Amino acid sequence: MSNQKKRNFQIEAFKHRVVVDPKYAEKTWKILEHAIHEIYNHNASGLSFEELYRNAYNMVLHKFGEKLYSGLVATMTSHLKEISKSIEAAQGALFLEELNRKWTDHNKALQMIRDILMYMDRTFIPSTHKTPVHELGLNLWRDNIIHYSKIQTRLLNTLLELVLIERTGEVINRGLMRNIIKMLMDLGSSVYQEDFEKPFLEVSAEFYRGESQKFIECCDCGDYLKKAERRLNEEMERVSHYLDAKSEAKITNVVEKEMIANHMPRLVHMENSGLVNMLLDDKYEDLGRMYNLFRRVSNGLLTIREVMTSHIRDTGKQLVTDPERLRDPVEFVQRLLDEKDKYDKIISMAFNNDKTFQNALNSSFEFFINLNPRSPEFISLFVDDKLRKGLKGVSEEDVEIILDKVMMLFRYLQEKDVFEKYYKQHLAKRLLSGKTVSDDAERSLIVKLKTECGYQFTSKLEGMFTDMKTSQDTMQGFYTNHGVEIGDGPTLAVQVLTTGSWPTQPSVTCNLPAEMSVLCEKFRAYYLGTHTGRRLSWQTNMGTADVKATFGKGQKHELNVSTYQMCVLMLFNNADRLSYKEIEQATEIPAPDLKRCLQSMACVKGKNVLRKEPMSKDIGEDDAFFVNDKFTSKFYKVKIGTVVAQKESEPEKQETRQRVEEDRKPQIEAAIVRIMKSRRVLDHNNIIAEVTKQLQSRFLANPVEIKKRIESLIERDFLERDNVDRKLYRYLA
Amino acid sequence: MRKEDTVKLISAEGFEFVIDKNAAMVSQTIRNMLTSPGSFAETQHGEVTFPEISTTILEKICQYFYWSLQFASGKETEFHIEPELTLELMMAANYLHT
Repeated sequence: MSNQKKRNFQIEAFKHRVVVDPKYAEKTWKILEHAIHEIYNHNASGLSFEELYRNAYNMVLHKFGEKLYSGLVATMTSHLKEISKSIEAAQGALFLEELNRKWTDHNKALQMIRDILMYMDRTFIPSTHKTPVHELGLNLWRDNIIHYSKIQTRLLNTLLELVLIERTGEVINRGLMRNIIKMLMDLGSSVYQEDFEKPFLEVSAEFYRGESQKFIECCDCGDYLKKAERRLNEEMERVSHYLDAKSEAKITNVVEKEMIANHMPRLVHMENSGLVNMLLDDKYEDLGRMYNLFRRVSNGLLTIREVMTSHIRDTGKQLVTDPERLRDPVEFVQRLLDEKDKYDKIISMAFNNDKTFQNALNSSFEFFINLNPRSPEFISLFVDDKLRKGLKGVSEEDVEIILDKVMMLFRYLQEKDVFEKYYKQHLAKRLLSGKTVSDDAERSLIVKLKTECGYQFTSKLEGMFTDMKTSQDTMQGFYTNHGVEIGDGPTLAVQVLTTGSWPTQPSVTCNLPAEMSVLCEKFRAYYLGTHTGRRLSWQTNMGTADVKATFGKGQKHELNVSTYQMCVLMLFNNADRLSYKEIEQATEIPAPDLKRCLQSMACVKGKNVLRKEPMSKDIGEDDAFFVNDKFTSKFYKVKIGTVVAQKESEPEKQETRQRVEEDRKPQIEAAIVRIMKSRRVLDHNNIIAEVTKQLQSRFLANPVEIKKRIESLIERDFLERDNVDRKLYRYLA
Repeated sequence: MRKEDTVKLISAEGFEFVIDKNAAMVSQTIRNMLTSPGSFAETQHGEVTFPEISTTILEKICQYFYWSLQFASGKETEFHIEPELTLELMMAANYLHT
């Protein structure tokens, strides 16, 4: 074929198709078949790729594709049959290795065959919709090797046995495992799933069912969880080393179900080591483990949460109802805070700061704190204690932390108005006695209360602070005007308190010593002179005084006492001995207060400026009092505290309670009117619901009380009952 | 140019073209030939004989290989083909999977 010819007859390009040796196909195929044999026998080095490729190319081009393809299938199948025999013959541990080696060989051969038959792969196969060479090779391998009856079960058993061996802690050839598993995956995901994964999961489930049963009989909860965690990690590690990544979820599921889900209640309630014991002993690690494991199964966390909640509620209930604990309010609140801290720490260290757990904790606290009606009082007392003395020498940040904790308890309270009542009382005492340690801390707490409950809640508290400030100015004004007249006499500091802002008790003004009452009158004149239309009344029960005293042997002391105590002490300027009755008559101090103030001056060691006959702990109506000439103290200034009403006594408590109830009435009424004004008509149940909701931030309204208020409003013609439906109320504008 | 980086292509008439492996591998067929896992004769000796491709065509093919590399790297020039070579070239191209 010269160039000359080509130029004349371009059509000659079809030369391939023209003349064909009738035996051409047979001959060519023989060459290729021989080559395939050689390839399987690792003898390919002598073969010419170009020649083989050209032969295959020409066969396809000359329409012998079908022959080529079927020839390939037959040749490959026969080779695989031989291979299967040699694999089958492999003994024991060699079996997998032989399989792996043959698989590698087959893969290599397959690739070479595919390369030389590339042209068929490219043209003939797509047009006849046959399986491409590579896939064909895999399918033939699957059918002739993996699904060969004498190999299939043996392979599966070998694999499962190896896994079992590894689970018992021995080392296996993971590389070989990985190759075999990889082979199964290469043969298609269905092969992997059917021939390995499914039976693997079944066997694993059985294994873990047995093991968990064994463990749970002999281990405590912590150890069991450790074992379960280790197993879980082992399985995940196994997957990462030699299984399909998709199997991870499935196998972990099996472990979770068999080792955790099936034993959850038993684990949680396990005696001496269950969840409750872990909580009691702050076993963060074990708790964290439990959380992480249980989180994996449905209802796992719910189980933990429920047990934790009921435990907190139980212990909390014991805490708030134990009469021993109620003796000391500060201690009581401190315990609550400690308890809260404990669980906060558990939740943050072990429970991943899980919101649902925090909520459970909060609702548990809310539940048991309100079981004790005195909680609001105690919390306020706790604050009082802290602000009086507890915050000395504590940095600002720490103060904030303590206050924040208190606010957290406050949030749990249902009867916030009761707290407000007590807080007002305690704050008033602190302000008037000048005992607050830090103004900043006081104000910071007020701000917190304000953000929590709104302006209304704190307006009166803030009013108290304003009064204090104004009083200072007033006193300055008073002394600039009258300073000269007063001269060396006793000095007076008056705090003018706005009625309504302060928790003034309707108290009897006691008889002040003459020196004092003169001064008081001067002040009254001055004050009413500058402010018209006001009325002043003295709250002698709330004041304090500094008294300079000289005792028998000339010891001089400055005594810091309450106004009542001052009145009593002043009496001794003119008498050596006074009976209880005489004191009571002269001062007109109410009996309980008088007793308390005498007790603090006569019965407290180190502060006993008075002497009493007979000597006893309590004040009797027939006792007589003397100045204690032998009084000594290391300090010049002596602070004589009244036996401060730490906790309210029973009648006082009742009284406060009553006042709170009294205060609630107008609030409930206001809420009813507000609701009815917008709704016009509403039935009874809905009113109750809405009122409760509106007042929730302050207190839990009692439905019976609401009903009473509604009736009172009907009487006063704010509302009327519907004529037809007696359950409906109408608003009368 | 090191020997292992080149390949020798031999035409039907026995003409030898020594070109870069890179260039030769523009042809999928030659690529398979040189990279197939079994060591075929071509891989061992680094030469391929094409008994059905004439010198003219093989020369054109080698030119095309280099042109193609350039084209792929962004240098877009035209590749000129004489009309009388077209058909044979196309057949060779089919064979070489280029």
